[in-house]
Amino acid sequence: MDRRHFLEMTGLLSGVLMLSPATLLAHREDAIRIGIIGCGDRGQGIMQMMASLKEQYAITAICDILDFRLEAAAKLAPAKTYKDYRQLLDAKDVDAVVVATSLHMHYAIAADAIRAGKSVYLEKTMTYNIPEAQELVKLCARYTGQILAVGHQYRYTPLYFKVKEMISKGYLGDVTQIDCRWDRNWNWRRPVPTGYADEQINWRMYKRYSGGLPAELLSHQMDFINWAFDTHPDEVMGTGGIDHFNDGRETYDNVQVLLRYKEKGMIGNFGATCGNAHEGYIFKIKGTKGMVSLLPDKGVFYPEEAAKKELQTVDGVSGATRLEWNTDGGISIVNEKMQDGTWYALKEFYNTVKTGTQPVSNVKTGATTAVCVHLANEAIFSHKILSWKPAYNF
Amino acid sequence: MKQFKKIIPSLLLLGVLSLSYRSAELRRFYISGRAQGTTYHITYYAADSLLTRSMIDSIFDQVDSSLSLYKPYSLVNRFNTSAEAVKMDRHMRKVVKAALETSRITGGIFDMTVFPLTNAWGFGPAGQQPLPDSAAVRNLLTCIGSDKIHIKGNWLYKTKPCVQLDPNGIAQGYAVDLVADKLEALRIHNYLVELGGELRVKGRKQPSGQKMSIGIEAPGENDFEPVMEQVIYLDKGAVTTSGNYRRYHETNGKRRSHLLDPRTGYPISNELISVTIVAPDAMTADALDNALMGMGLQHALRFIEKRPALAAHFIYHRPDGSVTDTMSSRFKRLLKP
Repeated sequence: MDRRHFLEMTGLLSGVLMLSPATLLAHREDAIRIGIIGCGDRGQGIMQMMASLKEQYAITAICDILDFRLEAAAKLAPAKTYKDYRQLLDAKDVDAVVVATSLHMHYAIAADAIRAGKSVYLEKTMTYNIPEAQELVKLCARYTGQILAVGHQYRYTPLYFKVKEMISKGYLGDVTQIDCRWDRNWNWRRPVPTGYADEQINWRMYKRYSGGLPAELLSHQMDFINWAFDTHPDEVMGTGGIDHFNDGRETYDNVQVLLRYKEKGMIGNFGATCGNAHEGYIFKIKGTKGMVSLLPDKGVFYPEEAAKKELQTVDGVSGATRLEWNTDGGISIVNEKMQDGTWYALKEFYNTVKTGTQPVSNVKTGATTAVCVHLANEAIFSHKILSWKPAYNF
Repeated sequence: MKQFKKIIPSLLLLGVLSLSYRSAELRRFYISGRAQGTTYHITYYAADSLLTRSMIDSIFDQVDSSLSLYKPYSLVNRFNTSAEAVKMDRHMRKVVKAALETSRITGGIFDMTVFPLTNAWGFGPAGQQPLPDSAAVRNLLTCIGSDKIHIKGNWLYKTKPCVQLDPNGIAQGYAVDLVADKLEALRIHNYLVELGGELRVKGRKQPSGQKMSIGIEAPGENDFEPVMEQVIYLDKGAVTTSGNYRRYHETNGKRRSHLLDPRTGYPISNELISVTIVAPDAMTADALDNALMGMGLQHALRFIEKRPALAAHFIYHRPDGSVTDTMSSRFKRLLKP
């Protein structure tokens, strides 16, 4: 249903039900009025999630430079449409914006939004390069009244909080190795509708718009390690290539980076390929006492043999549903079913905007991860070992 | 080299001697696996690995064929869908008899005919359902009660077609007893059998001669961090625990326990969080733990103290909401190694 149809229908309904369109569109008074900037897959996904959080969010404005995207998004919410984000930022009925555009636009839009007095939920990776990350940190320090949250959404699930707690309480012992993968077996392209250019749709394939696989996928895992261990890598090395889909793309379809966390004594292996899907997502954190294996919504703890004995101090345990070891010797970390990470992230964004507190994934942690991603890409493309600089400490 | 040759036979001899010496010793064997939707582990001390996994599987398969609600072909499912009666096997006969006796001594707080309620409240094989209203509950109650089933020879009859059995509160304990019986038949007298947190123990650890230690789990914050409320030491008997701290459904912040009161038709709601029972066998303990959850603390304590074969431990909410525990006098004696 397009907007005109919607208005017609609501007009019709109001005649029948003696309700004005305003009543039909009414939302709770304390809901945040949201503008969506960037209505691609991610932007529309967030809109759908917000539709299930009606008490928190009312989408009042949507913006995209591509007509077909804007039309599709308009079907999801009866909001005012914009082609130019700057006009959306001028709108009085927008309290906060979601920025879900291609990466190269993140900084400009987020900075303009902050300056326009809006709070921002900014998709990951936070910025396209390091100078932009540094600028955004500086800018947010001047505008303390608004919130900038970075959409590393997994960070908000109770499961990932629990794993952070396990790490800080020493359940894993000394962590030395981290193994991460985010693999697929397809070209990672979206179909291009007639009349549109490939780079408008498949911007992830172009270096001037995107940071490729490290920015779009591995940034989540890098971000979690930074946050969970309160650290950052000291050295970054990497390699990669266009190894299977030689289809005119510029960003690599096969990458591997090695992050050295000197202070923590850890090595992080982060890899992604478009050429095999068997293992898909891998996130393993390995310590002297045990390993945690994570999926976006599931986590299993595998104690090492010695630690297992510590857990089994008695010959048997009686409990209502006692500690259950998986067939492969692991213990499930949380038993309740997790919601999608975005659901928790949006709930948290609402709370932080309403209370003025900083979100856990904020401009500073977002900047740290953005630096990691850019060092990773630079290492991959330049074949150099890159070092962390004091200027990257936010 | 010559010297070396001399050494070898004596070394060999030593090896043979130690082997023969060892074979007379009791060694520890450990088997674990999955059954009845949960995990089991069996520790036993014997001269050789007499109990095999196929023996264990066969026991659990037999119990499933007779008493599992999750096997469409099981005898209990056939009873539940029958209009009038089924011919029981030995497992069903034993369990139904014990269930009727438990129902009698607990005044109907334990009742195996609770199945229509189990389903209606969303804890049955069909999963969560829209919540029943009071009229629906009243209607279901007409199908519930131990007076609505009776045994005649090998047959189990029901007074109306809607009468259905839920063996879940007792079948697990029964399965544990069957494994213990198997160990006894193999002349193994030092063992611990555990299935889904229900245990049966006999004898001592070898060669130390220590009693087996059993932790009573408390509702902890994390699964990877089990909290032992108490540790007891037992050389004979069974331990089972019933609690509402992990299995419950929640609507609008209100928790509904999976434990249902067959007298009222509603989920049990009182100060008790979990009850652990020590009894001579696991079937008795298993049937009683749910019933005691329904009695409430004071009634349950009196019930236990009157029966010399039983001991119990309770975790409960104080009126101010804090959590604490208490135990029967005989349970206290089990705390000493």
